[in-house]
Amino acid sequence: MKRKLICLFVSLCLASLSGFSSAQDLLIKNGTILTVTKGTVSNGDVLVVGGIIKKIGRDIKAPSGIKVIDAAGKYVMPGVIDSHTHIALTGTNETANAITPEVVMRDVLNAEELSIYTALSGGVTMVHTMHGSGNPIGGENIVIKMKWGKTSEEMIVPQAYRTLKFALGENPKRANSPITGTPRFPQSRMGVNSIIRREFLKAKNYMEQWDRYLKAKKSKKAAKNLVPPRKDLQMEQLADMMRGKMLARCHTYRADETLEFIKLSKEFGFKIAAFEHISEAFKIAQELAEEGIGISIFLDNWAYKVEASEGIAYNAAFCTQQGVLVSINSDSGERIRRLFNDAAKSMKYGGLSEEEALKLVTINPAIQLGVEKITGSLEVGKHGDIAIFNEHPLSAYTLCEMTIIEGEIYFDRAQYLKEREEMEKKKKEPVKKKKGGKR
Amino acid sequence: MKIKKIPVFIFVFSVILLVLHVLPARVGPTYAIVNCKIFPVSGPAVENGVIIIRDGLIDSIGTQEKVSIPEDAEVINAEGLFAYPGLIDAHSSFFIELPREEPGQRGVSERGAQPEEKNWAAEVNRTAFELLKPKKTTVDSLHRVGITTVLVAPERGIFAGQSVLLNVNGEEAEPMVLKNPVALHINFTTERGAYPSSLMGTMALLKQSFLNAAHYSSHRTLFLSSSRGMKRPEYDPFLEALSPFALNKKPIFFNCANLEDVKRASRLIREFKLNGFLSGANEAWRVVDLVKTMRIPLLVSLNFKPPATSVYVNQGEEKKKKAEEEIYPANAANLHKQGIQFALTSLGLRNSSDILKNVQKAIKAGLPPEEALKAMTVIPAQLLGVADFLGTLESGKVANVILTSGEIFNEKTKVQRVFVDGLSFEVKEPPKKAQPTTLDLTGKWRAMISGPMGEMEVPILEIQQEGNSISGTISSEMGQWEISDGIISGNELSFSISATIMDETIELAFSGTAEKDSFEGEISFEGGSARLTATRIPDRKD
Repeated sequence: MKRKLICLFVSLCLASLSGFSSAQDLLIKNGTILTVTKGTVSNGDVLVVGGIIKKIGRDIKAPSGIKVIDAAGKYVMPGVIDSHTHIALTGTNETANAITPEVVMRDVLNAEELSIYTALSGGVTMVHTMHGSGNPIGGENIVIKMKWGKTSEEMIVPQAYRTLKFALGENPKRANSPITGTPRFPQSRMGVNSIIRREFLKAKNYMEQWDRYLKAKKSKKAAKNLVPPRKDLQMEQLADMMRGKMLARCHTYRADETLEFIKLSKEFGFKIAAFEHISEAFKIAQELAEEGIGISIFLDNWAYKVEASEGIAYNAAFCTQQGVLVSINSDSGERIRRLFNDAAKSMKYGGLSEEEALKLVTINPAIQLGVEKITGSLEVGKHGDIAIFNEHPLSAYTLCEMTIIEGEIYFDRAQYLKEREEMEKKKKEPVKKKKGGKR
Repeated sequence: MKIKKIPVFIFVFSVILLVLHVLPARVGPTYAIVNCKIFPVSGPAVENGVIIIRDGLIDSIGTQEKVSIPEDAEVINAEGLFAYPGLIDAHSSFFIELPREEPGQRGVSERGAQPEEKNWAAEVNRTAFELLKPKKTTVDSLHRVGITTVLVAPERGIFAGQSVLLNVNGEEAEPMVLKNPVALHINFTTERGAYPSSLMGTMALLKQSFLNAAHYSSHRTLFLSSSRGMKRPEYDPFLEALSPFALNKKPIFFNCANLEDVKRASRLIREFKLNGFLSGANEAWRVVDLVKTMRIPLLVSLNFKPPATSVYVNQGEEKKKKAEEEIYPANAANLHKQGIQFALTSLGLRNSSDILKNVQKAIKAGLPPEEALKAMTVIPAQLLGVADFLGTLESGKVANVILTSGEIFNEKTKVQRVFVDGLSFEVKEPPKKAQPTTLDLTGKWRAMISGPMGEMEVPILEIQQEGNSISGTISSEMGQWEISDGIISGNELSFSISATIMDETIELAFSGTAEKDSFEGEISFEGGSARLTATRIPDRKD
């Protein structure tokens, strides 16, 4: 707790001191407002003040001096949220060990990675950037906003859930440590399950050790030389899982082992926020819906490995219709810029409505990340995280023109193209030689 | 002409005696440097200044009128020269020869999930002192840029090991040592063949290690005070080694390759209340507010290469170069503008000749020259806890003095003479670029050395020449010695010999002229010199 407080304090210091630029105010005029949760407003305006959406409606009067964006003929939607990716990190997997809950993505954020800008160009305002799938128990993930040019601290979304990465199936069992080149335990699916179980048993033991110590310390007959147990970062993380302070995000493909993992979560009393990739989700959609566990999947690619061989393009739509909370993820720094295309495919494969399709990349991932109160849809009181498209975002011909986070424009396609053109021009200009001057 | 030949053994032995005779005393004569302009750093400049050096210390310093010249002093007329305190490089890796990196251990990781654990105790206990291999060429190259004191740290690994502070007063390790060990050095890097293989793992390892050290130490303290009914703490050599740094405020240098490293280090320093130093930090200006509020001692590198994480590196060669030339040199100036104090170091620079060049670049980018001077004298002395006897020119301090032809950070200025611990060192020009040669010295040679101890014959001297570079061996009854750093430029020949005899290594330097079948010149060693003439042993033609 103390550590957390210190971390919080440091990050607050960092945030406040590195010139936390005041979020801007702006008014978007005359666009088709796709709020996602509250219907569509044609010829509508969105007013953002201090980074927060203040009004959505028609004919909002512009407060004096406010920046006005003309969105006539354009589509205004909540910023796209990627529930599963690995961008803006220095390193993805801690491959030396199979069990690494002690590693945290918070420690290795890289605010200068270009894929942040790539993401912005596809309307993405927030991502869940995660540990890889090499380990049965990976590290702690983090939710960040794509505030290109800002510090890593300013990107972090403190309201989001703390989540821990788990992985089942082929990846953790074949992640023969590339370092030693020798096979690493576990080598089978039963091994993966058993090692996770073993670690939770250890963590339970660890918690009991602490409980015993704290109890002994409180008692009147407490020995003076009572030694506290050693603080173990691995165990602390798993203990936090069992205390409900952190949720599981579990990489899995097959239905059978997914169900096994749900059993495991019940045995130890931890919560699963979502299953990742899970191409066989449609086989257990009812179970998932009953358990209230979401899924974060690709829309239409599968069969890239054996455990993904039974995937179908109808997975997202079918599971949505069965009551499962579905999000579409990129898992990539490139695919991340066309998540709206992926969402659109759910209309073709399974017949989701426009609104349902948009939810797959906005409010649904927001709920999975625990940030639905601040983003994921255009509603008064939420952050001004907005993407503006030249055509309907579910059209095959659409392009993201502008991406706004907390009222601040982070991507402006027209501006970018202009700058690029000028740069190209400069390059082509013959270099003027200065006469007589030495450099 | 009578030639008194003596066996090689006796000759070399007498050289050793001579050298050993000179070394232990390590006290130069008394010097009186007169007529120079003194920049003491501790105060304003003094025109027509006099510095008296005695017993390795600055005996007195001041204007001509105030300081009298002792009778026994060797007077050095430094007219037109400027005197400065010797420069201090507070983080370098000079003089260290690392054993070749062993390939990652291919340990079988049994049935467990853990690969073999690294011997962290050995990592923390590695000392730069043990790795020291002082070389004359390095000493010369440091003197050329006015550096008289260097902090030498092991470079590799997460726990790189512990550093040593040296006064560059010769070519032997022990007499150079000012402070040992100085600090533990930590890199935000990864390990090969062991956990951690990723930066996030490294952070976790560091946190866990500091936690463990605290737990171990409190357990042991409790046990020592009242052990009844208490489980004995198991001895842990790693935590034993780490505890003085983790808990008892011995300094830890964090190498910060980029701005995120600065933040990582700051978080660790704050969370575990470490006596931390930020070193490298060539992106420190980008986290200037953090650096300012954290008040962590800062050692800024003169290496201007943008780090791999930099946005400039990912946008093509052109931007990268521009960043190296224009953006990163301004780091120091930006920090200064914010009122932040720092030392300048050579960390990451391979050639000492780049040190002054890069200080000049930093000055061009806006760092006031007097601040640059402080950053290489009094500030590093304070940070390293040696300001009592180093860092400024004041009487009673160690006589680390440099004489320069002009203001020290001017492009054209040359360091002319260097005093370290009161010992005078001539500053030699770097070896010139070799001129093409028509000579080929490859072959066997016989040499005669004549010196104050008599004459001796070196029966076989074997030389290989490749282009301009010369290598070879000398064979005698005392063993085989290597010829290294050899260069033939036109007809000018120079090389050095590392002679090991009775576990003592003597560096001999030869320079002279060569012809087709002969060469001659001076062979010098610490405390003396001798004349060497060599003739070619003709190839036997059967």
